Amino acid sequence: MVKESSEKSLIRKMVPNVFKAAVWGIFTYMIVSYLPTLLFPIDFLPFGYNQFFDLFVGIVVFFAVITNLFSGTIFGYAFSIARGLVMIIYFIVAFNGGIISLTMPMSEVTVNLVVDVKAFLTILVLVNLLGIGKSLLQVTNFLAKKVEANQLNQ
Amino acid sequence: MKQAIRALTIATLILWILLIVFAITAVYSVMNLDIDFGETQFFPSNEDVVLSLPFFINNSGYYDISELNVTTRVTDYNGTLLALSETFVPLVASGSNVETVHNISIDLNDLFMEYTEILFNDSSFELDAFIALNFAHAIPVQMSINMTIPWGAPLSNLSIGEIFVLSDNRTVVIPVSFENHSYFDIVGTMQLEVYNDVDELVTSGQTDLDVPSYYGYNEPVEAYSSLEDVLKLTESGKVHLVFEFPMFTAEQWITYG
Repeated sequence: MVKESSEKSLIRKMVPNVFKAAVWGIFTYMIVSYLPTLLFPIDFLPFGYNQFFDLFVGIVVFFAVITNLFSGTIFGYAFSIARGLVMIIYFIVAFNGGIISLTMPMSEVTVNLVVDVKAFLTILVLVNLLGIGKSLLQVTNFLAKKVEANQLNQ
Repeated sequence: MKQAIRALTIATLILWILLIVFAITAVYSVMNLDIDFGETQFFPSNEDVVLSLPFFINNSGYYDISELNVTTRVTDYNGTLLALSETFVPLVASGSNVETVHNISIDLNDLFMEYTEILFNDSSFELDAFIALNFAHAIPVQMSINMTIPWGAPLSNLSIGEIFVLSDNRTVVIPVSFENHSYFDIVGTMQLEVYNDVDELVTSGQTDLDVPSYYGYNEPVEAYSSLEDVLKLTESGKVHLVFEFPMFTAEQWITYG
């Protein structure tokens, strides 16, 4: 009887999170995937970077869903920190450590293009680190509140 | 704690918005960048031939393009440097356009002195172009292009026809032919000396040349000589040709008969 009621309470707690996660998932997908394709043609990205873009959409949508699904729990913050770390790794890999090299055959000649995006990549990494720092503070705050509540109950 | 979290949330949100806006406007600016190349022209200048590459940049994007540097390196098929040119545009401001010319100057006299064969035989050069610029004062971009430029010899297929003496026994006729495969007209003089099979000078003459680009020359050159010298003419021998043009001087020995 107690188990059944706790399951019901869990489901009752989970339903708004599932709804929120679904809405955030769709919203994030629209922002990171649908909107850019409306603004810029899909073939604008050079060969090989289409896959990176799809991966970016996948990562962002996945973490938007998962963090909202577990929001209000310690897992929500853990996934938030994980998102920051994954994004840092993703940006370093996608931007090839800050130097993007492309070889484009144009009619009879081959054009080699090197774009140095180290400054941009550094800012991206720092912003993600700032996000991780924020999540760590949120975790600390969450745990402090929990300890405080437990101490008050005792 | 809550205030610190709120401050960090606002800071990260602002930074993300700035980064996204920069990324979108940067891509938009690159898409709206109009770069056009004009018709490549060759023109003589003193002893040089100048390869002129006009280009036009219309920067209708949101960001400046600074420190645009165009460097070209012309090498022969062995990789020997023939010409090195540089064009620097300090700034192409947002919403403005720049029209400039990149000139590659090649000293033909030096070139033909060292590589005589390219006067008479078609060849090719390697052109390496390096373009460096700074986009939005933050993103350095480098571009390199490698291409092969065909070279047309100005005195291609130079040959001497059958030399004969006119009925006056004083006029030696030397049929000379060549094709101007080069990008420039050749205007100047051609001196020739005819030697017999024992290397004795038979006669010498001179004629003016005016051969437009991609045209051939096939003319008999008349040289006057004494009867005594005309008798020295043998069925085979050598002709020494000296070409003098404002851009270069060249000479060549050709056997006849």
